[in-house]
Amino acid sequence: MELIIAIFIGLLYACGVYLLLRRSIVKLILGVFVLGNATNLIIFLAGGLERSGIGFIKDDVESQAQMTDPLPQALILTAIVISLGIAAYILALKFKYFEVTGTHDLDQLKNTEQK
Amino acid sequence: MILFGFVILPLIYILISFLPVPISLKKGLSTLFAVMNLLLSILLIAQMREVGMVKLEMGSWQAPYGIVLVADRFSAFMLAIAAVVILACVLYSHQSIDEERKKTGYFQFLFGIVMGVNGSFIAGDLFNLYVWFEVMLMASFILMSHGGERAQLEGSIKYLILNLVSSFFFVAGIGLLYGKLGTLNLADISQKIIQLSDPTGSLTSPLVLILIGFAIKGALFPFFFWLPASYHTPPPAVSALFAGLLTKVGIYSIIRFYTLVLYTNHEFWNLVVLWLGVLSMVIGVFTATSQYDFRKILSFHIISQVGYVVIGLGFFTIDSLAGAIYFLGHNMIAKTNTFLVAGWVEKRKGTLNLKVLGDLFRENTTWSILFFISAFALAGIPPLSGFIGKYAVIKSGIDSGHMVIALVALFVGVFTLFSMLKIWLEVFWKPQPEVSEGTEVVKPGTERLMLAGSVLLALMTVGMGLAGEPILNYCQAAADDLMHPARYVEFILN
Repeated sequence: MELIIAIFIGLLYACGVYLLLRRSIVKLILGVFVLGNATNLIIFLAGGLERSGIGFIKDDVESQAQMTDPLPQALILTAIVISLGIAAYILALKFKYFEVTGTHDLDQLKNTEQK
Repeated sequence: MILFGFVILPLIYILISFLPVPISLKKGLSTLFAVMNLLLSILLIAQMREVGMVKLEMGSWQAPYGIVLVADRFSAFMLAIAAVVILACVLYSHQSIDEERKKTGYFQFLFGIVMGVNGSFIAGDLFNLYVWFEVMLMASFILMSHGGERAQLEGSIKYLILNLVSSFFFVAGIGLLYGKLGTLNLADISQKIIQLSDPTGSLTSPLVLILIGFAIKGALFPFFFWLPASYHTPPPAVSALFAGLLTKVGIYSIIRFYTLVLYTNHEFWNLVVLWLGVLSMVIGVFTATSQYDFRKILSFHIISQVGYVVIGLGFFTIDSLAGAIYFLGHNMIAKTNTFLVAGWVEKRKGTLNLKVLGDLFRENTTWSILFFISAFALAGIPPLSGFIGKYAVIKSGIDSGHMVIALVALFVGVFTLFSMLKIWLEVFWKPQPEVSEGTEVVKPGTERLMLAGSVLLALMTVGMGLAGEPILNYCQAAADDLMHPARYVEFILN
């Protein structure tokens, strides 16, 4: 199971980087979202995958040993909420940029570039 | 409890601003809150003289499990310097930012940055640090694009994407580190990493990811490209605030992380950090010399000057770390002030192209002197603060046997002086090439608060230079704590 998820994360990173390198701003933004999700999955994977881990623990030692670590999931939740806020902002920024310039082309950004 | 104030004060301001209160009240409150923030940080430094470290466990959860806010002398120093920069920028903003931006929540977002920066300085937990980074970044994204001019939007896209990528590096590193060590508390990580039988091999990948995340935020050499592409686009007060605070938070995190975690594998990381520092220093200063835009030159100098701090860390003695901390504080103040003066020049002349500008010394001596003080402090001219910082870093480099790097740092100082002289000669000294048709007469009083902000920072620059010894002694104590991470660990976990 770990291996499958690890390969899947790798694929997501590949897709994300590919999208980041495209000229269209929309694809760039999609690339950021994909990378963000791949990163969340890394935390999930690193926290350890437990097939029959239990969510609620009783007071005995045995059930504590079976418990899945809940912290990585809490971390992912935080990260998802943050990326939600960023997604809202980045889409608004894209919308405004399109309104002002009428283009999706990243090459148009070079006016502000250092010479 | 005092630590809680640093994050709750800005939050209170943000919440008050959502209420339907008149705009004049919001403006007044923003100054009040900035002053309160400064007082709080002075109080914290006063407290540091007695105790050395303070911590606050949120919800009374014990340290390795709960979120802990912690301040040692280094954090307190950074908080105080940041508070001065914030106060100056708030004062300056009152008269340099247009009414439209103020009505749409300019100060709210500014205090969002304040909250994120203060939080990052007192975070005792790696994930908590990430969250404060995001608070700070979110507010800075909005301030960067606030107003919606074309250049701003272009700058924002570059700034946004690269900073998000840096956050992904950082979070991926945190996730992997958690998987290996099962803890996120910095003190606990520091303790566990010593206990590992093989501290080098298995942990290198998460640590590299985290360091890259910090290095992008701190604009070190191979990762700095977002900075000069975006820092000259927002209004001057905003870029001054960014220049003073944002990259420095990245550098602060590198120092904190190095002294707590990375030092355990010193042979490997020391070389990495030294190379990062030296290359940033040299490349930043060289690229700056080819620029002909006031703010772009200053932007490239940010990269060069964080290099000094990082080599100070790389030498890794108490003296060099003290020098690095002092230099970081000096740089936050002097750099912000040069950006503030650039904003004034742009307001008066409508351009920042060095070739078109000229003769400003004759036009307004006060602002010219303000620029002179901060620019030559950056270059390291004796009575000013930059001299002491550079002297401390370079001398400790020679003492610790890094002769070549110390020489490179001196050499870079000469080029810094060259760039600052270039600005001084082109903007303030030479006669203006084409006399523009009747510059508009400035109404008296419309620049009073701008001047107040800039004078505050200039006085700090001179003050830090004249009171060099007590401040450097304080930095020595801070560096001493950083060099003995066991004290930090002991304090947090017990």
